[in-house]
Formats: sequence, structure tokens, C-alpha cells
Amino acid sequence: MSGKDKNLHNMSESESEQEGVDKEGIEWIMNLPDVPMKLPPHVELQRTRVECKADAPIHTDTIQYSGAFASMGFDNSLRLDNFRNNFKIEVIDLKEDDIEFDMIGIDPALANAFRRILISEVPTMAIEKVLFANNTSIVQDEVLAHRLGLVPIRVDPRLFKYSDKDAPNENNTIVFRLHACCERGKPRLTVTSKALTWLPNGSEFPLVSDKSVSNSKPKTYTSFSCSQNTLSKEFSNNPIGPKDSDIILARLGPGQEIELEAHAVKGMGKTHAKWSPVATAWYRMLPEVVLMEEIEDELAEELEKKCPVNVFDIEDIAGKKRATVARPRDCTLCRECIRGDAWEKRVALRRVKDHFIFKIESTGALPPEVLFTEAVKILEDKCERLIAELS
Amino acid sequence: MDPQPEPVSYICGDCGMENTLKQGDVIQCRECGYRILYKKRTRRIVQYEAR
Amino acid sequence: MEHGSFTDETKSTFSVADEDHTLANTLRYTLNQDPRVTFCGYSIPHPSDNRVNIRVQTTGDPAREVLKDACQNLMVVCQHVRNTFDKAVLDVKLTNPVRDINIK
Repeated sequence: MSGKDKNLHNMSESESEQEGVDKEGIEWIMNLPDVPMKLPPHVELQRTRVECKADAPIHTDTIQYSGAFASMGFDNSLRLDNFRNNFKIEVIDLKEDDIEFDMIGIDPALANAFRRILISEVPTMAIEKVLFANNTSIVQDEVLAHRLGLVPIRVDPRLFKYSDKDAPNENNTIVFRLHACCERGKPRLTVTSKALTWLPNGSEFPLVSDKSVSNSKPKTYTSFSCSQNTLSKEFSNNPIGPKDSDIILARLGPGQEIELEAHAVKGMGKTHAKWSPVATAWYRMLPEVVLMEEIEDELAEELEKKCPVNVFDIEDIAGKKRATVARPRDCTLCRECIRGDAWEKRVALRRVKDHFIFKIESTGALPPEVLFTEAVKILEDKCERLIAELS
Repeated sequence: MDPQPEPVSYICGDCGMENTLKQGDVIQCRECGYRILYKKRTRRIVQYEAR
Repeated sequence: MEHGSFTDETKSTFSVADEDHTLANTLRYTLNQDPRVTFCGYSIPHPSDNRVNIRVQTTGDPAREVLKDACQNLMVVCQHVRNTFDKAVLDVKLTNPVRDINIK
């Protein structure tokens, strides 16, 4: 920290007490707990909010440079203890496969890194090789193989290793068998993911190449040294299988048959989307709707009707109807409420730049809250790797 | 040429009956007389990448 | 992996293999927040190469050390995010122990 830093703090505080632009709306913002009272209000507004105007949003960028506001006596550098005090996470909704939470006081660079890692770098297990012994159905081998690949598998990928160039063994491969047959004279048969049965002892298909070696067990497509049941207690209590048992894989007509083995390995979403642990992971900034003036009577009713998602309510105070912002979180920023005449002056639509509504929808391999912690760990590992390379 | 040509399985295009034919046999289903026969799929394992 | 002048260690470009916007953009953010940094930016020279170039120029400290500090800071931030998240999730689980409460 150099002399530059000292300058920042020596600058007079009085400068920031300059008269604010005007309007109650800004005062309202300044009274919010997460806004430091240092910058002039109009600059503070630009720094912390995206404003949605009728034609386009403005002040969309985040100001990252530490000395951006040095001339105004505001220190924009990252203070870790500052971050610690301001950072908050509020879980809104937690279900088996979904989580919604608010992440407050963090830069989009980080929020986006977590999102990107969730989608493309958190590993899962997915079917990668399909060995067909028989397929007389009308679904072609390659199409069926592709469909199998996309079936989410309920297993903790942390218990497995990447297979890379190793031969398939009990630590990197999960084998499923599928044998479905529709007998003659029977109605059509729908084959679902339920038909995939786990083979804890590995492949059962013999390798045909070496017939000469007829001692002990015939060689198969995998070389398991022991049953996967013995590897982890979890497996024997809760056998590995597809997350959902009702995914349709194929339909068989009378006389048609499918017999195959599917080998699942560990991988990442950036290689192929089938390894992505999330259906989707996304965030949006918190919408903020501010009424710049009292909106009463007919105008209030007009405003309530304008909004397609019912953000506004009408309060009845001593016979007077007044519009209030009841559900700002529902706002989609469609800008319908600031369309026409003087509405842009009455209503301000904004987004809070450091408040993210984060949503993770897991495909089922891991619960969503575990996925997020895994994603953060992966970012930590990346830093660690870089530090190691720099030293 | 193999000394003893192996019999090959075919499936009738009409009734679905399995027929085993040797070299020189008439190409015709034994059950229904249909003359279009399809070769049976091999049991040899084919491997696909699930992508 | 570091390409810079050998005489002036305050300006360097670091070429990091097997990384993308995920790490580079977060590092750019943490570096820009450091008062010692005068310039920082990153580029991906070719979309099919798995590589990013991160440029760091400082007011006097060695760029390498500043970048290392940025990584360290980022790790501290991540750890805090993780702890906060775990605590928040635990709270929710304790208050409503049955999962799938919102199921229809």
C-alpha cells in the first residue's frame, strides 16, 4: 500500500456531502443498509444500481478499478474484512433437486465463475461406452447409445476416478446391463431407464479375441478386481442406478430385442453436456422498483393494471388510493410500467448490482447445495494451481 | 473358400420365421414361401460412444 | 509460463494453460481491486487453444507477487463464500428438516 492509499483517506469527507441530485427516490436508496455513505448519491446510484430506462438499461458496468473514485475520497479497493462483513447468503428455497438462494455483496465476476463452474466443471458419472450384443429394435445403435448417455445416474462422482487411459476397473467405471425383449404376440413394450441394471462385478461380455486362455475366468471388457459393493457402504445400501426410472429409451415391437452393456465413466460438462451436473444454473440481479412520487387514484389503478406480473398493490388510506410496490422480486423488468407519457419520471426500474438471485437445478447425481460447495472448491483449486505454478 | 460352408441364419421378410440356408439352397422361407430373406444380426459385440 | 521483460519485473504477461474466462475474469477483478495494480487485463489468443494470457502492470511490486496475492485473496473470498453458504443451508435444514416441503 503506497502513498496513494493515504491520499484516499486524507481527502475531506465534506466533499461527499455535496447536495444530492434531487428526489426522494435517491434518499430512499441512501437509507438502505448496504450503501456506504461516501460517494455523492448520484454516483453511488450509478455504482450500485443498473437503471432500466425505456430505451435501454444504463450504468450496466461494475466499477472494478481500485482508484476509480480516488478524486472523490472513496476507496474502491477490495478490503477482505469489508467483504466478510457485507457478504450474505439467504436460502430462499431448498428442495431435493433445486435450490434458490440470494447471494448478496459479491461481484458478478465471482457469481459468474461459480455459475460457469457448475455447468461445465463439476464432474459427474455418465454412460460413455455402449456395447451392443443385440439390437433388433427400430432405434439405431448409435441413436440408442446417445440416448443412454444422457440418462442421469444417481451416484456420488467423488467416489470415482477419471479413467483417462487406465483400463476400465472398479474405481473408474460403472457397468449397467440392459436386456429387453418383446415376445411375439405380445403388445409393444416400452423400455425405460428402469431396465438398466447395475453390475457391481463389471462387464459380463467375454472378450472373444483370446480363446486359447481357457483357465479360470474368461476375460471381459472390464477388469474389476473386486465387487463395487465392497468399495463403499453406500453402494450396498443404495444400489447405483439411473436417477429417474421413467425415461423412455426405446419401444419394442413384437419379436424385437435389445441386449447391451453400458459403461459409465467420470467426466466434466465441458467435454460433453451429459456430464453436466445441473439442468441449469443461473442468476439474476435483484429487481428494484421505486416510485419517484406518490401515485394516487386513477394513476394508481392504471399502474396496477399496467404490470403483467402484479408487482404493484393499491393501498387505501383514508379514502385515498395509493400505489405501493408490493412484490418487486417478481418484476421481470419488462418496462411496461414506464411506457408512455410521464411514467418514466414516476417509476424507476433498477437492478441491484451486487445482489444475485441464484438458482441451481440439479440433475440428481448430487444435491444442489453440495454442487455449489463443490463449485467453489474447484475455483479454490484453480487458484492453488496457479500459485503453485508461480512459485 | 471354406471346405464346409457354415449354414447362415436368415429372417423371413413376411412371417419373421428364422431359416438356416446353406450354399445352393433355394432362397425361400420354409414356412410361408416368401422369397425375401434378411440376414440375422450378428451376436458379435459392437461398441458405440454415447455422444 | 511468464512472458515479461527480464529487466522490469513490474510488468508481466502470464500465460496460463487449461484455463478460461472462469479463472481469468475473476482474477482480473481481484487484481483491479488491488491498489498496487496500474493495469490488468486478460485475453484468450485463440478460441480453440485452452489458454489465457493475463497482463499485470504494477506501481512497483513484482507482478508475479501481486498475481500470487490476488490468487490468495480469491481463495480467502471463496472460503468465506463456502462457509457462509454452508451455514445458511444448515440453518434452513434445521428449521425445516423434511425435504420437499414445497412438493405438490
